[in-house]
Amino acid sequence: MTKAGDWPSYQRVLLPPVRDLHRLDVYRAEGGYEALGHVLTGTSPAEVIDKLKRSGLRGRGGAGFPTGLKWSFMPPPKPGVPRYLCCNADESEPGTFKDRQLMEYNPHLIFEGILIACYAMQLTAGYLYVRGEFADWIELMEHELARAYEANLVGDNILGTGFSADIFMHKGAGAYICGEETSLMESLEGKRAYPRIKPPFPAQQGIWGYPTTINNVETLACAPLIMTRGAEWFAQTGARTHPGPVLYGISGHINRPGVYEYPTGMLITDLLEIAGGMRGGKRLKALVPGGASVPVLRADMIEGVTMDADSLREAGSMMGTAGMLFLDEDTDMVAFLRRVARFYHHESCGQCTPCREGTGWMENLITRIDDGQGNLRDLDLLLDLCDQMEGRTVCALADAAAWPVRNTIRRFREDFEKRCKPAVWAA
Amino acid sequence: MPQVTIDGRVLEFEGQPRLLQFCLDHGIELPHFCYHPAMSVPANCRQCLVDIGAPMRDRATGEVRTDGEGNPVIRYFPKLQTSCSHVIADGQVIHTARTSEKVERAQQDTMEFLLINHPLDCPICDQAGHCPLQIQAYKYGPEGSRFEFRKVHKPKRVRLGPRVVLDAERCINCTRCVRFTDEISRSHQLTIIERGVKNYPITPPGVEFDEPYSMNVIDVCPVGALTSVDFRFQARIWEMTRTPSIATTHAKGSNCFLWVRDNLVLRITPRPNPEVNEYWLADEDRLCYRQFNEDRPAGPQVRNAAGTLEAVSWEQAISTAASVLEKAGAGAAFVGSARATVEDNWLLIQLAEQTGGQVVGFMEHIEAGHGDGWLRTDERAPNSEGCRRLGMTPVDGTMLRARLEDGTITALYVLEDDVIGLLSAADLQEVSVIVHHYHTTNRTLEVAAAALPAAMSAETIGTYVNLDGYAQRVRPAKVIQGASRTLMMQMGLSRADRHGTPFDRWYNETHYINCKPSWELLPAVAEALGAKVPAGGPRRIMEQISQRCDAFRGVSYKAMGLEGMPLPASIQLEAA
Ligand SMILES: Cc1cc2nc3c(=O)[nH]c(=O)nc-3n(C[C@H](O)[C@H](O)[C@H](O)COP(=O)(O)O)c2cc1C
Ligand code: SF4
Ligand code: SF4
Ligand code: FES
Repeated sequence: MTKAGDWPSYQRVLLPPVRDLHRLDVYRAEGGYEALGHVLTGTSPAEVIDKLKRSGLRGRGGAGFPTGLKWSFMPPPKPGVPRYLCCNADESEPGTFKDRQLMEYNPHLIFEGILIACYAMQLTAGYLYVRGEFADWIELMEHELARAYEANLVGDNILGTGFSADIFMHKGAGAYICGEETSLMESLEGKRAYPRIKPPFPAQQGIWGYPTTINNVETLACAPLIMTRGAEWFAQTGARTHPGPVLYGISGHINRPGVYEYPTGMLITDLLEIAGGMRGGKRLKALVPGGASVPVLRADMIEGVTMDADSLREAGSMMGTAGMLFLDEDTDMVAFLRRVARFYHHESCGQCTPCREGTGWMENLITRIDDGQGNLRDLDLLLDLCDQMEGRTVCALADAAAWPVRNTIRRFREDFEKRCKPAVWAA
Repeated sequence: MPQVTIDGRVLEFEGQPRLLQFCLDHGIELPHFCYHPAMSVPANCRQCLVDIGAPMRDRATGEVRTDGEGNPVIRYFPKLQTSCSHVIADGQVIHTARTSEKVERAQQDTMEFLLINHPLDCPICDQAGHCPLQIQAYKYGPEGSRFEFRKVHKPKRVRLGPRVVLDAERCINCTRCVRFTDEISRSHQLTIIERGVKNYPITPPGVEFDEPYSMNVIDVCPVGALTSVDFRFQARIWEMTRTPSIATTHAKGSNCFLWVRDNLVLRITPRPNPEVNEYWLADEDRLCYRQFNEDRPAGPQVRNAAGTLEAVSWEQAISTAASVLEKAGAGAAFVGSARATVEDNWLLIQLAEQTGGQVVGFMEHIEAGHGDGWLRTDERAPNSEGCRRLGMTPVDGTMLRARLEDGTITALYVLEDDVIGLLSAADLQEVSVIVHHYHTTNRTLEVAAAALPAAMSAETIGTYVNLDGYAQRVRPAKVIQGASRTLMMQMGLSRADRHGTPFDRWYNETHYINCKPSWELLPAVAEALGAKVPAGGPRRIMEQISQRCDAFRGVSYKAMGLEGMPLPASIQLEAA
């Protein structure tokens, strides 16, 4: 028995197998917006937050911060001080593609989650910041949002309960950094998406300088489920310390890549099997368990490891966004790292020195090694650069750029050394 | 009072100061680039990192926990913190690079990053010699670089606007220039474009960086990325001598530095003064510097029998002026000027009293609609308020013309100004005109009987009062032919090392202008008349003004110092 319990009989709730669920009528026929109705009529905001705390829901955007606690940080309403909710749908990390699935197949669950969050924190406006490249799904969601407005599920005096909240959609313009919470707020305000220094935190000064709570799409989509099925159901689904259903975005050299919904705490090996095993019967070489920025694991490190914060930390990595990238035995780890480094170099906003300069330097060095022109000392220099970047920047992108470099070199040092020119003394 | 310990030194503080500013205020140097005291704190250069610890407090009681020996237990932040953004709190313990290897290393690391894509072209860079990047790289940087790749190339020689050029490769992306246009001048004419290491500041499409304060970004830029179209490649910084002065093209009295080499003013930059202009200077106040070098007169002149102006000795010119005044007696009219100092205008009043003539007012220079409520004013001269406080009023052209016509005025004495424009040459056919002039372009010369070249603000000593009633001094920045001991003494004092830099050949007479300060000329004219007007240099003159003129009570050169002083407030009320 794994932490995930009886997962083979698990019934999907975030992405249930219902045809045309994205349509409002279908969604409602399936019991959609009932959670909102109950919450608005029979539950106090404090109870909603309490329920969320008891559910143990942790953010699905990468950092895994307890959501109920985050909501409770919001200062209480004060006349003349607007406060906002922001739903982060800027999903653009390599290997992460689960929010997109929700937007395509279950957008009303996201809207309902936003409205419940608005009610819980007594907010009247929620922004939905969507990655601009998701043009098709933006169109779809705009259409569905309009239906929800028509049905009085959003907007003024929702369902006649006296509670009003608006949802505003905002398109990003193609920068990964806009997914960083404070950068997203700058972008939303129409400014250049430079992350802000913290403190002040969003709950103190967020959008337009007013208190703001920001959550990932999947995080908010969990809220209606917790309201209808109960905090206990959620808390008992999957790993105890990191519970709930979760969307695993599985990609790489496997037979059936895609988004899989299962409880947290799944054995990595089980997930590999579910996804059809390695392509061509090859052996697994490495796994990136939570999106490009989390440390890579060698195949021999995943034995018995489950997909939850505790187990992955012990194994030497992180849950991140649960975007799992499986790499087979033929993978060139240098080329892999070169591609990852290129991404962070390309996406650094350039605001702070170590990240702006360090990401490019790293890509240069790794490219040189990949081209067979590298020196052994370049590997140590790369590790030095990781030290010089980590923890010294405005936002976590520099950390996210440094971790893969540090851990890929550390865990696959031989692959790198083989590609370097021999040291002079060895000749 | 709350305390912090910085490198083992215990310092008290009040309020909620930011650590970097607090350190700078206490003489503790910390390397930094993006921080500017007048602007928001983005903490983006990451150069000012320090190690900060806070006393641990008991959760229940809030008491500071102590170790066995009663010392507070300090818990350090897991990451180094940017001192520019850190607000200090009681009991915190701070380590700079002086006491922490970790911090020293971090500062070196950041510096190494800053330099990898920098062109390192200091030998041809205007900023070299006073460049925060250059200076701090020597002090805090690593010995070499481990970067072995082609540097990122970015646009060079980009004209952002009529007065500012960008070299994007030198830029370290501190965003000071952008913040200046967003937060200080609010023109919003600059923004950063591109992403990551390709970033650089530029104007939005179709926008020119032409705001009237554009050149301030050159000063705030911590590298040589932004340079002045006018000044670039004109001089190295160490070749010039810097003299504190006051800007003269507006009545705001913005504080500035005059940069002089070989007695030519080469540029003007702002001098911080929190009471007047903070850190800023309008572009016009900078670009007017050529007036100190060009079209300057070659010495005194007197109109001869043939009706042309002829060069004469100072004695001859002064005696001509004296005889004109003697002849005119009560028919002599005196015109002061908002361009002249308080001292010179006051001496003019004294001369008028001595000769029985009359001060008809002072020339003001209003350009309606020019002012912006900040450092640019409608008044385009530095001292109209000084004239007012001496009891003068602006000359009334109509009235003056009428009196010229009816013959009550037979001589006109013009102090450091040009009355053509207010009057026409025809109005002055019948009167003898004496003028103290700055430039050969002064149109009053056409009708002058005697022309006495006067020292300009860059060459003299004196006081201006700005439109807020703030009295400030000018000092000689360049030597003139008529330099006296008083001027030379002040000149020495204004240069920290008495003689400036060895590259400034101030003793070379090539660019000496043959002129004299009005505070020498006016007493000399009085003396030639047998009258007595206070002499003895502007310091002594200001002493007398402060004794005899209520509006200037308490004003002295010592009290004004480098930063100036407000005039007595009660007088302001009376004047209003
Ligand atoms: C460089 C960077 C990019 C990020 N991109 C995303 C993103 O695309 N989507 C997302 O939900 N969170 C992203 N995050 C995390 C957010 O900053 C934030 O932690 C998250 O939206 C909080 O939501 P949660 O508490 O629901 O997880 C990013 C963080 C960093 C540092
Ligand atoms: S760490 Fe990188 S992405 Fe984040 S603010 Fe700094 S430069 Fe921008
Ligand atoms: S041009 Fe100068 S002031 Fe502007 S961002 Fe670059 S370094 Fe900073
Ligand atoms: S001065 Fe730039 S980060 Fe502090």
